[in-house]
Amino acid sequence: MKHPNEATLALHAGGDLGFIARWICREELAAFTDTREMIGDLAEVPELPWRRLEAEMKANIRLGLAAGECVRMEPARNQHGWFSFARAAVACASVAVLLASSLLLERPHPRVAQSRLVVVESTSDGIQMSDGGQALGLSNSGARNVIYSAGAQGNMGARYVDANGYVTVNNLYAQ
Amino acid sequence: MRNRIAERLLAVAVLSAAAALAQDVPLPPGSVNFTLGSDSPLVSLGFSTRESRATARGAAMVLDLHLSIPLRNISPKRIRGIALRLVSQDVTLGGQASVSLTSLNVGPGELVTARIDRALIRPTQAAGGPLVEIFLDGVLFDDLSFYGPDRLNSRRTMTAWEKEAQRDRDYFKRVLAMSGRDGLGREMRASMARQAGVPQLDVRLQRAPAVGSAAIPQAERSEKFAFVDFADAPVAPIQGWAMVSGNEVRAPRIQVANRSTKPIKHVELGWLVSDSSGQQYMAATLPSSDPDLYLPAGKTARVEQDTTLRFSRNGRPVNVQAMSGFISQVEFADGKIWVPSRQNLDRDVLRKVLPPSAEEQRLIDLYVRKGPDALIEELKKY
Repeated sequence: MKHPNEATLALHAGGDLGFIARWICREELAAFTDTREMIGDLAEVPELPWRRLEAEMKANIRLGLAAGECVRMEPARNQHGWFSFARAAVACASVAVLLASSLLLERPHPRVAQSRLVVVESTSDGIQMSDGGQALGLSNSGARNVIYSAGAQGNMGARYVDANGYVTVNNLYAQ
Repeated sequence: MRNRIAERLLAVAVLSAAAALAQDVPLPPGSVNFTLGSDSPLVSLGFSTRESRATARGAAMVLDLHLSIPLRNISPKRIRGIALRLVSQDVTLGGQASVSLTSLNVGPGELVTARIDRALIRPTQAAGGPLVEIFLDGVLFDDLSFYGPDRLNSRRTMTAWEKEAQRDRDYFKRVLAMSGRDGLGREMRASMARQAGVPQLDVRLQRAPAVGSAAIPQAERSEKFAFVDFADAPVAPIQGWAMVSGNEVRAPRIQVANRSTKPIKHVELGWLVSDSSGQQYMAATLPSSDPDLYLPAGKTARVEQDTTLRFSRNGRPVNVQAMSGFISQVEFADGKIWVPSRQNLDRDVLRKVLPPSAEEQRLIDLYVRKGPDALIEELKKY
């Protein structure tokens, strides 16, 4: 708030101020009068420790200045450290999560879930193991008199004599 | 290393092109890896993937692999069996495949050709790298010694096949000695007739997860096994049962006792089923599920599997009315294998349903293709 200057006070004393300026000036003068009376009362308090109050006030002012300095320094430091270690760590972690998600969704190995049942059986030309999506088979190469055998532990075999006269035994083991 | 990466990239590029163009393309080199091991008794003379094709079918890729892999025996022993393990990195069915050659007689320095015909259906979008990796799982020699990592229990399986082969060769040699060329021919023709009369059952296997009560069919019943007991078998079946519902059987459990004097580490049973007309079929083998089984002399153990089997024949379901079992293979803790004798298997109930052994199948094929003289020459080699 701006206090009335000497010229304004002179005009007020002469009654030459306008209505609004006269009202503001009158309010200011009333406040000055109150302050003068309060100082007089304070002078009459004999035990007031002025030195200690002064020291405390100075300390409070220094504390306020230091706090203000701290508040003023923080934005400046942030301005230079926008790519701080913490932010870099968060960014790296985000990229890692993104990559991991991509690999999980688009990985080249179609890994079969354990719950999918694998069936082993004989086919028209051999033996086959499948789970609906993938299959693995061993062919008998058109051999005649093929003898199929099943093993209760989950294996299937096909036995035949090949063109070279060797007994060949193909086996598939579901595990 | 750089070449390997380039090959893998080439494989991916070619397969992607096949998918895009929806047509057959040959497989590029590098799509198949073959690993024998540094101290292997076999060496590969190379192979080609020229006959193999990749075909795009909708969202799936069909890969037809046709490989002939010549292998040379560089060991000082004769080889009786070879087991190869096939792994597909981009098919995640959780299963494995193997191709075995048995009843072999490959001397030092001699060649044997392993033929692999394999189909693979996988999503078009797949990772790079070899489509198939082939590893040597084991080699069985004529003295029943074994080489290999044995990831698929090939040592036990091939030893049992070789024991059956020795049993059947000895039998046919005795027939030849007693009845001559004509007698051997008659025996071969009888075996062929028996094989033609064995009813084949179509079996569909499913490894069963824990079955909740809601998933159990209402009509399911517990069916007991009957047993064919062999007096000379080191293991006796005591009692057993499985859950039966129409043409579906699951969760077989059989109590067995070790009546030999030696500890046992593997037991396998043959599992027969009968339909409502009384027709009997060989359904499956039932091995012990515990890989760490140790059955001391005089003790009992349970042979069980959590598998569901569904039976059909000519596209029609075969409803199970009765079941029976017999001990088909035992492995002792010292690695020795027991298999039933021909006298054991000559029982009427088994003779009508059991297929011939791998060796009998080979000898019949030789007799049909090359005649009795070639068969006699073959028997003289052992």
